[in-house]
Amino acid sequence: MHHAYIDKFAYQDSHIHRLDSRVKFIVVLIFTAVVISLPPTSLSVLTCYAIGPFTILVLGRIPLKFALKHILVVSPFVLVLALSCPLYDKTPFTAVFGPFTWQISFGWMRFFTILGKFVVTMSALIALVSTTRFNDLLTGLQRLGLPKLLIIQLGFIYRYIFILIDRAHHILRARAARKLRNLGAKAELKIAAAMLGSLLIRSIDSAEHVNIAMQARGFDRSWRTISKLKIRSSDLLFALTAAFFLLGLHFFVEPLLQ
Amino acid sequence: MPRAIEIENLSYKYPDGTVALDNITLSVEHGQAVALIGPNGAGKSTLLLAMAGFIKGTGKVLIDGLQINGKNLKKVRTSLGCCLENPDDQLFMPTLFDDVAFGPLNMGLEAEQVKSRVADALKTVGLADMGDKAPHHLSAGQKRAAAIATILSMSPKIITLDEPDGNLDPRNRNNLIKLLAELPQTLIIATSNMNFAAAIADKAVLLDNGSIIADGDAKKIMSDSKMMTEHGLEVPS
Repeated sequence: MHHAYIDKFAYQDSHIHRLDSRVKFIVVLIFTAVVISLPPTSLSVLTCYAIGPFTILVLGRIPLKFALKHILVVSPFVLVLALSCPLYDKTPFTAVFGPFTWQISFGWMRFFTILGKFVVTMSALIALVSTTRFNDLLTGLQRLGLPKLLIIQLGFIYRYIFILIDRAHHILRARAARKLRNLGAKAELKIAAAMLGSLLIRSIDSAEHVNIAMQARGFDRSWRTISKLKIRSSDLLFALTAAFFLLGLHFFVEPLLQ
Repeated sequence: MPRAIEIENLSYKYPDGTVALDNITLSVEHGQAVALIGPNGAGKSTLLLAMAGFIKGTGKVLIDGLQINGKNLKKVRTSLGCCLENPDDQLFMPTLFDDVAFGPLNMGLEAEQVKSRVADALKTVGLADMGDKAPHHLSAGQKRAAAIATILSMSPKIITLDEPDGNLDPRNRNNLIKLLAELPQTLIIATSNMNFAAAIADKAVLLDNGSIIADGDAKKIMSDSKMMTEHGLEVPS
């Protein structure tokens, strides 16, 4: 089965792709922290921050449609959370966006800011995973000091999530092929529980086989890899540019727009 | 020189009491290509797991002269590479390079040696430029070849393969036959595809209900249509 892999553009080649995963990760982490900490009235400032991930996506030759599609996939969760804001905070507020001003409640302002922050930070995250091979990202995280056990778990999730999705699709297809009428909610729940059970048992079975495959190749609970990461001058240039961008926005643009 | 594999009176029961292997006695010389043939549930996979020390029954199992026990398990698994039925179970690392390097790194080899072994193994199976690929980006035939590369990089003397031709189209099956025929190692191949077995093996061991029914020349055993039909198999075409 063919999946829409989140890292499908990570195997391309561009200046952004060639950057060290640690540098990209740290930049995205700081960028996300700065964007999240912006006050709830900073909608116009947010649009300036969006230039960062937008530039990375363009330089990395990642189609913007691809990024938008993935943002839309996750957006319902944030939308539900953000929609609670207009319900509990109805304080009047004068919103300013460039030359435009209009009256809304503070709750709605908060709603738009949360959505804006979500879009900008998600774009940065998509730019990171679309320009970095997952394995390089894991190696980078390991070199940054993340616990090995967590790295192993992340590696297994990435390796087996697609197989699990395939299996779930096969089970759903088998059900659809034989489910010729509406069975009612109770029966449907029973079937769903049986399907989940089957998926779980097969996952445990796979886990046992993977364990055998690991032990057959001498695994003794120590995780050994060959790291290929190296910080180069282009990585330092990228880090410096990102720092200037964030400091410039914080010290010069934010005071002008707020 | 000790035999590649020597099994004496091996019996094994599943936890529910079902007999999986019943008094198996078998010996394999170095350099032989052995086909373990038999219907589904005959005990082929269980016998392969016993050879790699993953299940422990009664009786004796010697791999390259070493009796399998807790102390020499690592040595045994360095001599005997075990390739599982499903390549997705065999390929568990994020990239092909890391997967093929996994065994040599656990053997304690230096980084340069590991890189050279990975390059050689990938070249042997025809995946020389695919080290950076994630296993889920490979085709079924490539996954099978990659799974074999993960074993080859450890330079074992013996390789066991469980249904290696499963899910392969004729072209990929022929590629696999060609690859296995060129390997210098002792091969133990469990399969229920008689044409595949006939193309590779010089010795065949017919298993059914956990017992050895026949053990000898592959052509002779597989041409006995009466015996083959009796045990749910077919004569290769």
